[in-house]
Amino acid sequence: MSMPLLEVRDLSRRFGGVLALDRVSFAVQPGEIFGLIGPNGAGKTTLFNLISGVTTPTSGAVLWRGKPITGQPPHRLNRLGLARTFQNLRLFDGLSVLENLLVALQRHPRSSAAGGLLNSTGHRRAEGQRLKTAWQLLEELGLIALAERQAGTLAYGDRRRLEMARALATGPDLLLLDEPAAGLNPAEKNQLCQLIGHLRQRHQLTVMIIEHHVPLLMSLCDRISVLDFGVCIALGTPDEVRRDPQVIDAYLGTGSGSGSGGSMS
Amino acid sequence: MIDNALLVQMLIGALLGLSVYLPLAAGQLSLATPAFYAVGGTLAALLSTRWSALGATPAGTLPLGSFVLELLLGGLLAGLLALLVGRLVLRLQGIYLAIATIALVEIVRVAILNLPFTGGAVGIFAIPQPFSTAAGYLLPALALLTLAGWVCQRLKGIPLGRAMAAIRDDELAARCMGIDTTGAKLTAFVLSAVLAGSTGALAAHFLNTWNARQGSFDASVTTLAFVVLGGSRSWLGPVVGGLLLTALPELLRPLGDGRLVLFGLVILLGPVLAPQGLITPALLQRLGRWGERDQPPASESQP
Repeated sequence: MSMPLLEVRDLSRRFGGVLALDRVSFAVQPGEIFGLIGPNGAGKTTLFNLISGVTTPTSGAVLWRGKPITGQPPHRLNRLGLARTFQNLRLFDGLSVLENLLVALQRHPRSSAAGGLLNSTGHRRAEGQRLKTAWQLLEELGLIALAERQAGTLAYGDRRRLEMARALATGPDLLLLDEPAAGLNPAEKNQLCQLIGHLRQRHQLTVMIIEHHVPLLMSLCDRISVLDFGVCIALGTPDEVRRDPQVIDAYLGTGSGSGSGGSMS
Repeated sequence: MIDNALLVQMLIGALLGLSVYLPLAAGQLSLATPAFYAVGGTLAALLSTRWSALGATPAGTLPLGSFVLELLLGGLLAGLLALLVGRLVLRLQGIYLAIATIALVEIVRVAILNLPFTGGAVGIFAIPQPFSTAAGYLLPALALLTLAGWVCQRLKGIPLGRAMAAIRDDELAARCMGIDTTGAKLTAFVLSAVLAGSTGALAAHFLNTWNARQGSFDASVTTLAFVVLGGSRSWLGPVVGGLLLTALPELLRPLGDGRLVLFGLVILLGPVLAPQGLITPALLQRLGRWGERDQPPASESQP
């Protein structure tokens, strides 16, 4: 087996008295689409925050291509090739759609601040490349007509796509999508599903995706990990996960009727 | 009613407004501008009165080259101070940063008041003059303002300026997009300090005397008012705010004591009547879109 792109080892995070994540371990292989499901409060977003450096783990390690990256700040991790979107959409609302992408493209390619001030040829060339990439991404995600619009004025579905475009603009190897289909109607969900598949091909991406919409996840993902109360209760292909009694218990609440279905180690 | 001396003061106001604007453009509410202004002014006052190599004459004149050198050194020293202090205080956010920068202003003020060589409460006076009249200061003040305005305008189309705008909107998202937000905030803070330091050096000569009161908490509030009244979405806002609010007390002088009440009313009513300030992006767009968000080759390079 090849070296995993991302590996998480015994990752735990405590918030005061709450153990939001309890010794979670898994490895994501290059090129796969890795799904994360679990009830609200299961620790999915916490896991994304730990991987992307937004919060630091209480214990455990995150490895990127076999090297520890635990505790590194988000901008470093992004430069390594790890980009994310946010559950609650965090666009640069005061900037235009195009500018949102240009912010994310500022290291692709790099140019010096002095060169920029003086409008040097190096700066103009870099800026031209950035614009070219930005327009390509806008086209890919169907946002071209909105390029000059202020991001804060976009419709919800467009905002979701812009967030993905912005994450892609940073040139990631691993894309973390936090509930990209939340708030979309069924038709939009289908489109999104196709889009993710298409983007993976085109950008040679590995994708980790948090999603509540189980059918979407089942059809999209190569493997799925199920979190419940901070514990990973199942990990496998969609079919394996679907048949797992613990998952059925945690997700569908069948059986004993005690609220904490899957709380076992 | 507006004489040359007031014009120079207005330009100094505009420069200080820009100095408050720069960190604010990166979402950082810093009130440290008067501290850097005081540092620059004190350095210029000390150098020109004590350092004979600068060529000040007993008659109180100063070669133009020495004056320019002082502007550079004043900016440099303020910038170095900002580099040191910024690493520390920029960890704070919002109102906490504002309070920390007020503390910096106070520390600098008390230091200048008590250092053995800065003249105590009286300060430094008879600062040599590079120009024989107030009108002479118009050109360097205008040049400095043009330079600062040009930098602010250029910032909009380059990565540093975009990073600042992104941080202002959402710092966490900016970090997750690979932006070294600490570096961008520090750069904005240092640029602000350099501008205030150079402005201080200019003001020290213009005012002829310099003391610790030049950089006080009052000045923090006044310079912030420039930005609040003028608007913080475009660099033209603080320029307009600085020009107007510096001129207003003088223009209202015929009203006697009532002028301060009226001045207070303007500051009070400004944000109520124009919450975004006088200069808003919408206004600039109407004015022929040369100030704000010009779209460079963006639209043409569409495939």
